[in-house]
Amino acid sequence: MLRTFALIGMLLAALLVTVGCGGKKNVPVVDNTATVVTPAPVEEVVEETPVAETPAAVTNYATMSPQEYGIGDVYFAYNEYTLSAATMSTLTANAKIMKEHSDVMYVVEGHCDERGTVEYNLALGEKRANAVRNYLTSLGVKAGQLRVTSYGEERPFVSGSTEASWSKNRRAHFARP
Amino acid sequence: MHLSLTRYLAATIAVVLAAATPAVAQDEYIMRAEGTASQLADVLVLPLEVQAGGAEAQVAAGTVEAAVRADLDHSGLFSLLTRDQVTGKTRGHYRIDGVLAGLPTGGGSSPALTLRLLSEPGSQVLLSKRYQPGPDRLRATAHHFVEQVILMLTDLPGISLSRIVFARGSGDRRDIWCVDYDGEGLLRLTSNRTLNLFPSWSPDNKQIAFMSFRQGQQGTYLLEAATGTVRMVGETSGSNLGPCWHPGGQELVVALSKAGQPDIYRLGLDGRVIRRLTVSESIEVSPGWSPSGHDLVYTSDRTGSPQLYIMDADGTGRRRLTFEGKYNDSADWSPRGDRIVYACREQDITQLMLIEAGGENRRLLTDLSWRNCEDPSWAPDGRHVVFASDRSGVFKLYVLDVEDGSIRQLTKGGEPDTTPDWSQ
Repeated sequence: MLRTFALIGMLLAALLVTVGCGGKKNVPVVDNTATVVTPAPVEEVVEETPVAETPAAVTNYATMSPQEYGIGDVYFAYNEYTLSAATMSTLTANAKIMKEHSDVMYVVEGHCDERGTVEYNLALGEKRANAVRNYLTSLGVKAGQLRVTSYGEERPFVSGSTEASWSKNRRAHFARP
Repeated sequence: MHLSLTRYLAATIAVVLAAATPAVAQDEYIMRAEGTASQLADVLVLPLEVQAGGAEAQVAAGTVEAAVRADLDHSGLFSLLTRDQVTGKTRGHYRIDGVLAGLPTGGGSSPALTLRLLSEPGSQVLLSKRYQPGPDRLRATAHHFVEQVILMLTDLPGISLSRIVFARGSGDRRDIWCVDYDGEGLLRLTSNRTLNLFPSWSPDNKQIAFMSFRQGQQGTYLLEAATGTVRMVGETSGSNLGPCWHPGGQELVVALSKAGQPDIYRLGLDGRVIRRLTVSESIEVSPGWSPSGHDLVYTSDRTGSPQLYIMDADGTGRRRLTFEGKYNDSADWSPRGDRIVYACREQDITQLMLIEAGGENRRLLTDLSWRNCEDPSWAPDGRHVVFASDRSGVFKLYVLDVEDGSIRQLTKGGEPDTTPDWSQ
C-alpha cells in the first residue's frame, strides 16, 4: 500500500512540474530556455492524470514480479509434492495478498531438481504446482487467479549438483502471466 | 551353390544362416543368438572398381565403400575381414564388391553404381543392386544397399536407413533436431525459442509428434518431416507429456492432466479423446505401445514411487512390471515385442535396465562410469538402443548394442541432447 501512495505522490508531483512548465510555454522566452522547456507535451499529461489515480495500483502489479510485493516461493522435498508446514505458512501469507487483489493473475510454476527423468519431472512439477493451487483456493483465493504450469527440471534457479542447489530448485514459483 | 536361409527362430532374434553346399555346410553362422556363443558373419568389403570418371569418381567410390563398411560394422552382425585374412581361408564368408561407372550424376541414363553381395568360396551372387545416385546421395545409396543385405540375410529390418529425432538445447530453449543413425545428416526441425521435448516418429516416419511450449504452455504438436509444417493436436491445457504413436499410425497416446494430474489418454490426430486409460490421483506418464498395439507400458507412482506397469489397449488388465528399484521410468517396448528397456534410478544415478515383457530376467545395461543414462529408445532392429548420457558433463546421445554391450557416441557438440526417438 505504501508503494501505491508513493507512486501516486510521484505522479502528482510530476503533474505539478509539467503544468508549471506548460504555463511558462505561453510566455515568450529566449531561445535557450525554450529548448529546455518544450519537450513536455502538456495536453497529453493533463488528460491522463485523473485516470492515473486509481489504476496506478493495477499497473504496478502487472509490471512487478510477485516476489517484489511479498509473494513467496515454496519448496519441496526430493521426489515429493506434499506441502510442508513451512510451505503452508508461506502460502497462507501469499493467500492474504492474493485475496486483497483478486484481479491479479498468477502462474504457479512447478520446478524440480536435475535428478530424475525429464518426463517424470515435468509431471512432478505439475503435481507440486497443483498442490499449491489447491491449498491456496482452500484458503479462499479465486481459482481463476491461478494458472498452473510445469517446467520440470528445465529451468533451474541455481546451477550445481549438490543438495544446496537442488533444494532451491525443487519449488513452486509464482510468476506474472 | 546357394545359401539357404533359415528364417527367424520364433521368439528370439537368433538367425541361423546355414550353407547348403559341402564347401560351407560344416559352418553355421549363428548371428547373435542371445545367451549363446554367437558368431559374427565374416564379410570382406572390396574397394569399388571405378570404370570411368577419374579422380572424382575414385573419391565417390571411396565414400560409398566407407559408408558400406560403417553400416556393416554398426549393425553388430558382421566381422569385417581384411584381404590377408581371406587368403587361404577355407571357411565360408561373404563378399561385397561394386562397380562405379562414371561420375554420379543424379539423373544419368546409364546405371552408375552396382553393388553386390556374394558368398565365398564359390562367388555365388546373392544380391546385386544398381543405383544412379546423385553426388549428395552416395551415403544414402550405401545405407540402402546394406539395409537390403541385412533384410536378406536375417529377414529382419536393419538400422542403416533409420534416423533419430531428439531435443537439443538447454533450459527452456530446446528445439527438435534429427540425425541419421550414424551421426551424419544433422538437421534442425524447429526454431521457436521455447521448450520442445519428446519427439516421436510416426510409424511411416513421415510425421513427428512432440511436446512444445510454443504457445506459452504445454501442447502436443505434429510436424511434417518433409515440409517442416507444424500443427497442434487439439487443445488441452496442462501437461501434454510424451506423445507416442500407435503402431497403426492413426492415433497417439499422451499423458494429459485434464483431470488435474497426468493420466494416460488415447488421442486421435485431431485431438479428440478416443479413450482415457487411467483414472488416478497419482502420476501416470511415459506411455509406450507394444509393437502389436494390444497393450502399453507406462509409469505410475500409485505406490509412492514411479514404477512400470502394463495395461491393455482399453485401459483394463493393469499389471505391475517392475518391483525392484525405487524409481523406474521411460520404458520403451522393443519392436520385436519381447523386451522392454527403461531408466532405473538408484543411488542418485539413472541407469538403463532391460526386462522381458513378462517381468523376468531384469538386467542392467550400463554401469556407473556412464553417469546418468536416460530416455532409451529402441532401433528398428530390436538390438540397438539410443539414450542420453551426461558422462561427458553434458547430455549427449549414445547408441548401445544390447547384445554385446558396446556403446558409440552419436551426437557431438556442447549443447545438451535429450529425449531421443529412433525411427522404425
